[in-house]
Amino acid sequence: MVQYRLPMLPPSDEVDWGASVNGNAVSTRLESNAILLDVLRDSLGILGTKRGCDMGTCGCCSVLVDGSPRLSCLMLAQEANGCEITTVEGLSDGHHLHPIQQTFTECGGSQCGFCTPGFLVVISALLGENPEPSEGEIKSAIEGNLCRCTGYQQIVDSVKEASNILCNGANVDDSTDPKSDPHPGFSG
Amino acid sequence: MWMTPQIPRVIRIQDFRGEKLGEEDSDEMVGYRQQPGKLPFSKPGSGGKNQFSEPRDESSIPESQGGSKAQPWGDHRHDEIVSGRVIGKPTALVDSRWKVTGQAQYGDDIRLPGELVGRIIRSPHHYARVLSIDASKALDLPGVLAVATGQDATSAFGVLPVTKDEHAMAQDKVRHVGDLVACVAAVDEASAREACRLIEVEYEVLDSIHDMRDGLEDSDLPIHDRGKYHIGESNVQKRVFQEFGNVEDMRDSMASHSSDWLFAGANHGFTEPHAVVAHWDPSGRLTLYTPQQVPHYLHRALADVLEVPMHQINVYRTFVGGGFGGKSDPFPHEMCAAILARKTGKPVRINFDREEVFWVNRGRHPSRIGMSIHSDSEGRISGIETDALIDGGAFASFGHVTTYYNGVLHTAPYEIGGFHYTGARVWTNKPASGAMRGHGAVNSRCAVEVGLDDICEQLNVDPIDFRLANLLPPHSSTITGFRVTSIGMRECLEKVREASGWDEKFRKMPLGRGIGVGCGFFISGSGLPIHWDPNKFPHATVHLKIDMDGGVTIHTGAADIGQGSDTVVAQSVAEVLGLPLDMIRVRSRETDTSPVDLGSYSSRVTFMNANAAISAAMEIRAELIKATSEITGAPEKKLVIGDRRIFRKDDPAVGVSYLEALHKSQEDRGALVSSGSYRTPPMGRVHKGAAAGLAPAYSFSAYVAEVEVDVETGQTKVLKVWAAHDCGKALNPLSVEGQIIGSCHMGMGQVLSEEMRYGRTGHLINPDLLDYKIPTVHEMPQVFPIIVESNDPEGPFGAKEAGEGPLLPILPAVVNAVYDATGVRVSELPISPDRLYKAIEKKCRKDGVSSPTEMKTPRISHSELQEKIVERGKSHSERDIERRRGKEPSPYHNGALFGLDPEVPGDEQDSRWTAVVTPSEEYLESPGLAGSAWKHVERRKRGDSQ
Repeated sequence: MVQYRLPMLPPSDEVDWGASVNGNAVSTRLESNAILLDVLRDSLGILGTKRGCDMGTCGCCSVLVDGSPRLSCLMLAQEANGCEITTVEGLSDGHHLHPIQQTFTECGGSQCGFCTPGFLVVISALLGENPEPSEGEIKSAIEGNLCRCTGYQQIVDSVKEASNILCNGANVDDSTDPKSDPHPGFSG
Repeated sequence: MWMTPQIPRVIRIQDFRGEKLGEEDSDEMVGYRQQPGKLPFSKPGSGGKNQFSEPRDESSIPESQGGSKAQPWGDHRHDEIVSGRVIGKPTALVDSRWKVTGQAQYGDDIRLPGELVGRIIRSPHHYARVLSIDASKALDLPGVLAVATGQDATSAFGVLPVTKDEHAMAQDKVRHVGDLVACVAAVDEASAREACRLIEVEYEVLDSIHDMRDGLEDSDLPIHDRGKYHIGESNVQKRVFQEFGNVEDMRDSMASHSSDWLFAGANHGFTEPHAVVAHWDPSGRLTLYTPQQVPHYLHRALADVLEVPMHQINVYRTFVGGGFGGKSDPFPHEMCAAILARKTGKPVRINFDREEVFWVNRGRHPSRIGMSIHSDSEGRISGIETDALIDGGAFASFGHVTTYYNGVLHTAPYEIGGFHYTGARVWTNKPASGAMRGHGAVNSRCAVEVGLDDICEQLNVDPIDFRLANLLPPHSSTITGFRVTSIGMRECLEKVREASGWDEKFRKMPLGRGIGVGCGFFISGSGLPIHWDPNKFPHATVHLKIDMDGGVTIHTGAADIGQGSDTVVAQSVAEVLGLPLDMIRVRSRETDTSPVDLGSYSSRVTFMNANAAISAAMEIRAELIKATSEITGAPEKKLVIGDRRIFRKDDPAVGVSYLEALHKSQEDRGALVSSGSYRTPPMGRVHKGAAAGLAPAYSFSAYVAEVEVDVETGQTKVLKVWAAHDCGKALNPLSVEGQIIGSCHMGMGQVLSEEMRYGRTGHLINPDLLDYKIPTVHEMPQVFPIIVESNDPEGPFGAKEAGEGPLLPILPAVVNAVYDATGVRVSELPISPDRLYKAIEKKCRKDGVSSPTEMKTPRISHSELQEKIVERGKSHSERDIERRRGKEPSPYHNGALFGLDPEVPGDEQDSRWTAVVTPSEEYLESPGLAGSAWKHVERRKRGDSQ
């Protein structure tokens, strides 16, 4: 409700917590009832994982815990203690986008982009398991994620295109490659 | 055990060193001819992967410039500057890589060192007087640094200057559950929440109103008091009366449709909850980070509320996680953050729970619309009568405009004989309604299009042919005086008819399957800027700056909310200058650095900002051509711009690179800078309210939807949608298709599942995304987007809007398809299974069938009129092609179809045709529902002491 009538919870016990977040070992102390999303965003500063509803309805906070998609807003950080956590920041290696990131940009899978991190981690898990998903499988995988801009169609297109890259191979641009030469035909 | 996902990437492995060495060895210069007298430039040697100029894409260059593309829709003033680079090609959004890597910073991602967390204390009552606020306990809590109340900011604000009725926090009254009472700043979220609990507020609860019809009546204590401008003692915020055309004779018709609609309120449902960070920096300036659609209006409102000059404020637009109109008001919480930051001297961040998003709302108005449509024996639309009562909730927001839009935006695309509109917007004790995608036009458009379907049913004619025979031509004027330039409505209808297999399906499918059509008409930018009166400033301004590195920096205030405005502005500049997109960088975030722009609303960005960008780029282009002419000796007129080269049209080998021309023109002056702007041409008529709905261009769309209805449960599923939209010219077809499909999604939600539900006590009972049903991927039909390009004469490269218009037709298309499937014509949205099943049961009882599975679905056998209207449609089609290709088409005013002289507005030539904006006494004897708002007399005209 609008008015917060419950008194503040007394601080709970602090516990040691450790996880591998995007390949980096993290260890910290936190309250035993801390929510994973809060830990990621507020304690660790991993802001790519978004907060959309705090009640598991929008999927924006999806992360991979030991490879499977979980809603971090409905998960106690304790549950992920000692696990491997992957957020959207962990999908690309800095130079090369993950194929699904690449195709999201090219096929219009991302408009405002707020739901995008959630979709990307869920889809990367799908493609990791099944590089050639059917349309039905794609839809089932992303059914827990809401997108208000795209109407999902270009997201599904992006997944198909990424699947194509994974199965058939194609160039994934290196983002640090030199860009266009303003003085073409005159190099050297 | 977790394993790194195995991503078999094929990474291009190239020996860059080898490649470059190879080129260094070669002295060949492809496509380049050394000119005598050329200045010895130092070789820039920037490397780069696109070393060679790509050939021009002749297919996208119009004939007038030597390309092969014919111009079926006539020539365009921008034809000469199309360089065949980026316009019209599917283009990834320029900021999409930021989004997919999680590096895009939205409101809640701005984290400043030492920031405090702000929370808002909200009213638990619908309507109450705030008697006292005791913050002493909260301030005693460790970690709580400041509490602010309404006394800290007493200035009113509001997005429209005529209806400033909001305050940062309650001044004396709270007007809806969730209205702001006070706010706190604390070191962390938990302390802030606890402080909210500890603040004791004493209220005197007042009688609240929740039914919009009650808002029309006199009240002891109206929700707002507008002084002498108040309409009686009622809660009517705005009322509109309009009568145009032959209103007298329109009801004397062959077929008439009449229905009373009830539309539920809808929320934008953007995924990013509002969030704001305010920071007063050491130099005493405020930077406010916020996901805003209209940073400039916020800029003004902040200056008013905080009582500081505008130059002391920098509004920083973060990435916006969806707007759809819901982030286009200056918001009280933004004021609160600034006030708290000022009090504490530290940055303050406020981010909303999803529930708070629903309290702020500004979504689609709940509406009661009475719609009557008449058709004469010729199959012409002899009249449309609309009576729209809209529920504005507690504040005015954009409501002044919405009240007009509910009427005036259905005076096209059809030529009509008479138009009667009464609209009223009332205040109720609910979260405020405001602008939402398709602002004001969606509900009444649905009622019109469903009405036309019924008219066609009565006349036994095909609804697509009927529409085709009643369209306004290009370069015409609507009954209320809107100037229609390009119109691709006919092509939209023809294309969806063909693509959907309409003729084989309409009224021919079995029970439970149906197909329906709907059309849309929307403004492409508002002709009147909200805040500038008199209108002396341009609507949009774009600055360009090019330094010696050759990269182009664009400064624009256009707010990219995910629709791709940064991309379209970058594309426009890239096209004119013949540059690849990676050489363009857009700086559009800060009011400190960007020129004033009205923001992202009323679908104005592409039309106005791209036009401004083009005119700025034209200045640079002229400089580059002049420099090239100086270098090569070729006359300026012969030079054209291609991919990073400027060369002779007739001898492409003669030319220089972009960088050479740039450096030449920079010799005496340093950086090249230019500024371009756009303002709308003078348009429209002069009656009161004539400016509402005026736009420099209008978009048109036609959808066909195919649905499946389970008649035994009332569950509707949309299977396919063929969606044709006339956007003038698709500058970025990828984005246009995205907008069309996204609009389908949002409209489909409104027609089938989305509803802000208020319980018996008036409480909003579904302020969360679990109970507010946004369609998921499983509910989405397959959408076939069809782009129609009508080449608008004033649009940038011919473009018009594509963001809002495509939403309109989906509602009526689905409603009409449900009728085709079941024979049930609903008039209450959303068509939830319970509502539809009730209607099906009713029909069964009426038809005397025992089971819904035995219902008869509608069938059609064409009447004589069908042939007549098909003929008329064909002859109009020829007329339209002639008019759009002609250099200067003759005037065409609505009314010519009814035998009037097309050169003159109807009311100036026929006494039966009227143009009135105040109701007659005769009307007031038996007004419609919204029309009854006119029974009140404005206080200043009442003649009593008040």
